[in-house]
Amino acid sequence: MWKWIQKLASPKVFYETTNKLIPWFLWPFIALIILGLFWGLVLAPADYQQGESFRIIYIHVPSAWMSMFVYFIMAMAGGIGLIWQIKMAEVVAKVSAPIGATFTLIALVTGAVWGKPMWGTWWVWDARLTSELILLFLYLAYISLNNAFDNPKTAAKASSILVIVGLVNLPIIHYSVKWWNTLHQGSMFNDMSNPSMHPDMLWPLLIMVFAFQFLYGVLALMNARDEVLVREQNSRWVRAVVMGEQS
Amino acid sequence: MTLAETLSFLPYGKYALYIWLSYGITFILIVGLFVRTSINHKKIRNQLKNKYAREND
Repeated sequence: MWKWIQKLASPKVFYETTNKLIPWFLWPFIALIILGLFWGLVLAPADYQQGESFRIIYIHVPSAWMSMFVYFIMAMAGGIGLIWQIKMAEVVAKVSAPIGATFTLIALVTGAVWGKPMWGTWWVWDARLTSELILLFLYLAYISLNNAFDNPKTAAKASSILVIVGLVNLPIIHYSVKWWNTLHQGSMFNDMSNPSMHPDMLWPLLIMVFAFQFLYGVLALMNARDEVLVREQNSRWVRAVVMGEQS
Repeated sequence: MTLAETLSFLPYGKYALYIWLSYGITFILIVGLFVRTSINHKKIRNQLKNKYAREND
């Protein structure tokens, strides 16, 4: 295992691995998203309280989970980059940021669109919504800080510190519905063996969560592959890869 | 008549506007991520090709 990680730290092996892995994430994503959407939008029954509007959770909850998951990955990758100076970890953190920011935006927007008919308002400054908005700002701060430096090493160092400090926001988002009296409803998954959701509604949600995981995977891999080429552009193997395609 | 009522002939009735709006925005944003990735991919390949071509002269 450790040897494999060390190997992956080599840009060339990293590039080849990302290339090989892309279809392994793309096809499961396509299969799961079709299944999840059909199940969630067509087969699942309407909610007895929220009616049809509850169907928004099939994109809201997965994107909200992914907004935190991607941030956690970025913080881990940033930490690995800082401690062991592994450049490929910096690549993972950098390419994840726009994807995570988009998931956060999707969670906020779909939440607002659901809130309008259910709460009667697009937005309230309650703890869950506010902390999720702060997460979006953290992503944007990370992206702009990363772009502010010409030297990718300095950029990675500064932005990794930012993303690690911002990690404190994740438990705040997660526990906000418990710590404060929020308008946002509480978690439905406090007890996985006895979820407060009927299987007909729960299954499509779980499928959509996996679909979004694979979506993140395929997008991160595709972007990481290109980012490595830019960073290693003075290596002979990059020249071979790029020029080899021309002929 | 509000917009939500106007669109209530669509599936999901009075919630049609909200459901299709949120799914529509999500779809556009995710497609946007793929488009951005693909544009970036081509741009980087072209830049590097030009760079190596110049160096060979």
